[in-house]
Amino acid sequence: MVIRNRAAWLLWALPAIVLVAVFFVAPFLLNVRFAFSSWTSFRAEITWNGLENFRTLIDQDLLANAVTVTVLYAILCMAIQNTVSLSLALALQRTSRINTVFRSAFFLPTLISPLAAGYIWRGLLAPDGAVNTSLGIEWAWLGEPSTALVVVAFIDAWKWSGLITLVYIAGLNSIPKSLLESATVDGAGPWTRFRRVVFPMLAPALTFNVAVTLVGALSAYDVIAATTGGGPGDHTRALNVVMRQQWGQGFFGSASALGFTVTLLVIATAVPLVWWLRRREVAG
Amino acid sequence: MRAPSRLLGAAIGAVLALSLTGCGSSAPEGTGQVKLTLWHNSADPAPLLEMYKKFEKQSGHKIELVAIPSDGFEDTTQTKWATGERPDILEYHATVSGLLALNPAENLRDLTGEAYIARSGDLYQAAGAVNGKVYAAITGFPQVFGVYYNKKVFTAAGLTPPTNFAELAAACPGLKAAGVTPVFESGGSIWPVQILPILYLAGANQSNAYGKAIAGRGATLADAGSPFVAGLTAYAKLKSDGCFNKDIVTAKFEDSMKALVTGKAAMVAQHSDMLPALLAAAGGDQKTVDESVGFVGLSSDKPLVTYAPGPIGTFYLPKTGDAAREKASLDFVRFMTGPAYADYITASKTFPVLTDVPDPQGVPSVLQDVKKAYDTGAVIAFNSDIPGMGGLAQLMSELIAGQKDPQKAATQLQAQVEQAAKAAGLPGW
Repeated sequence: MVIRNRAAWLLWALPAIVLVAVFFVAPFLLNVRFAFSSWTSFRAEITWNGLENFRTLIDQDLLANAVTVTVLYAILCMAIQNTVSLSLALALQRTSRINTVFRSAFFLPTLISPLAAGYIWRGLLAPDGAVNTSLGIEWAWLGEPSTALVVVAFIDAWKWSGLITLVYIAGLNSIPKSLLESATVDGAGPWTRFRRVVFPMLAPALTFNVAVTLVGALSAYDVIAATTGGGPGDHTRALNVVMRQQWGQGFFGSASALGFTVTLLVIATAVPLVWWLRRREVAG
Repeated sequence: MRAPSRLLGAAIGAVLALSLTGCGSSAPEGTGQVKLTLWHNSADPAPLLEMYKKFEKQSGHKIELVAIPSDGFEDTTQTKWATGERPDILEYHATVSGLLALNPAENLRDLTGEAYIARSGDLYQAAGAVNGKVYAAITGFPQVFGVYYNKKVFTAAGLTPPTNFAELAAACPGLKAAGVTPVFESGGSIWPVQILPILYLAGANQSNAYGKAIAGRGATLADAGSPFVAGLTAYAKLKSDGCFNKDIVTAKFEDSMKALVTGKAAMVAQHSDMLPALLAAAGGDQKTVDESVGFVGLSSDKPLVTYAPGPIGTFYLPKTGDAAREKASLDFVRFMTGPAYADYITASKTFPVLTDVPDPQGVPSVLQDVKKAYDTGAVIAFNSDIPGMGGLAQLMSELIAGQKDPQKAATQLQAQVEQAAKAAGLPGW
């Protein structure tokens, strides 16, 4: 029985294992050496140069800032998306005609290309754009160092919140009604029911959503490229934006070093985070 | 059920057959006609696009145009290039720094013996060639960098267009008092904000002296009292004096063209290949452009224009290993620089680079201003021969945001130059 179950398990897992191996593990292993190489567009020879690319990026004040911006951006995206999506999920949990319309409306941005979403919002948030015109103010939302990163994180949240909301709705609908009814009979109000019953029972959905939003934002590029291009100055210059700039100048080794840094950052964040959230699920 | 299945089978078969036919890069065997891939700048003007069609008609070859967006043109080209993908014909920068980044000895065909080179004066002394080998076929007049100005705005303000930075700074208060933005900068497009500092340096770069000193390690950008630091300092001063538009960080270069044509801005630092964009901003009305826009040279202290051989109409032939396509792409270069070139000049109303082709008639007045300024005093852009200068625009963004002062920006850019010069194996590095 055990062997049969293991065989079945392998069969079901095989497509995912193959996809991850072919499209992630193999390219990663094959390309990681370039992060430690002298690869540029200027010459054909590619030689091992140790940590030289990382030293160059540090000397040019590029690496530390890019890591800081990337981490800040990821935390902002994760916090905004999960707060907005959980609120929306609670509001739209019941299946009714009107809720279906709203769910579809909130899901629509997910279907738009991130670049297109970025360009649309860049137009809306321009100093003479629709947002400022309707508010009667003059503010360069994407041009002010104090607001640019937060605004771009909100645009990313607008883009993806519909999807995250659906996961939360699925999580909410999987909570047994009897539990909520028992809590109500025991005198629990709406807030207590949410805090003591709903939120702990949402743990699997929370694990998925927090991990997906955080890891997704760590490898951010498209929305930033379409809205600020990394500016003002270097205030939204995330790792992948710098990687593209290095690549564009023909410094492929340095670009690979930045790509390697993104991967390390994702692994260093995602593995402990998912481990901790899973433990929390079990404890809950 | 069977009939639809047969129909489906036939349809799939037809689609497969069509796709397979479309996949081949060569036309039917025995005709000698091939399909050539041309990576071109999306800003190619209509007369140049027309030349591609004329070549197809004359040669029977097909050209598949792959447009590279002019915004981020260098990045995108480099990205495609780095994958190992090679077009049959590449439209790209003719500057030595741009050429070095293509690793020409390894990747490009040597065109040194071609007839057009002898007809181009000393053009290939400063562009399109590395280590005595010519790789480019330059058909476009160099990009001439200077200041476009709105004639009506200056007349109304009782001012004359500035030809040096002191005059530029002095003109700002009067123009602001007249309710216009003195200089419109478009940081949202990133690259345009490097133009003013490059213009400033024309004074120090006569005969390319400053560029050669940096590339040859005789000086650094960050030296005490360096012209480069002085240029950035002058730029920062203009910004702190309020000479630029409020949305400098987000504005795109299309916005700058519109602001200039409509008189909301008095000046825009740009180059001559942007004339089609200027015309587009005027709704395609050449008369409006002629009546309202002029062009003038500007540097730190003299009325000089800065020039750089541009990507528009500059062609390279990458090595592809396909003899038939390589022959056809060489035919393309010979066509573009042959008898058809005079027709192109007439149609495009631009100035020729081949010395035996006459200037066209009916050139728009703003382009006449460009030519006049060029003939009066032109200096090659100081960064033309220096590899690693691609980071200048990004550093300007940081300077504008107040994150870096001119000295720090110069130090960082010098580090990038060193990184590239070592990678390119330049003598002395």
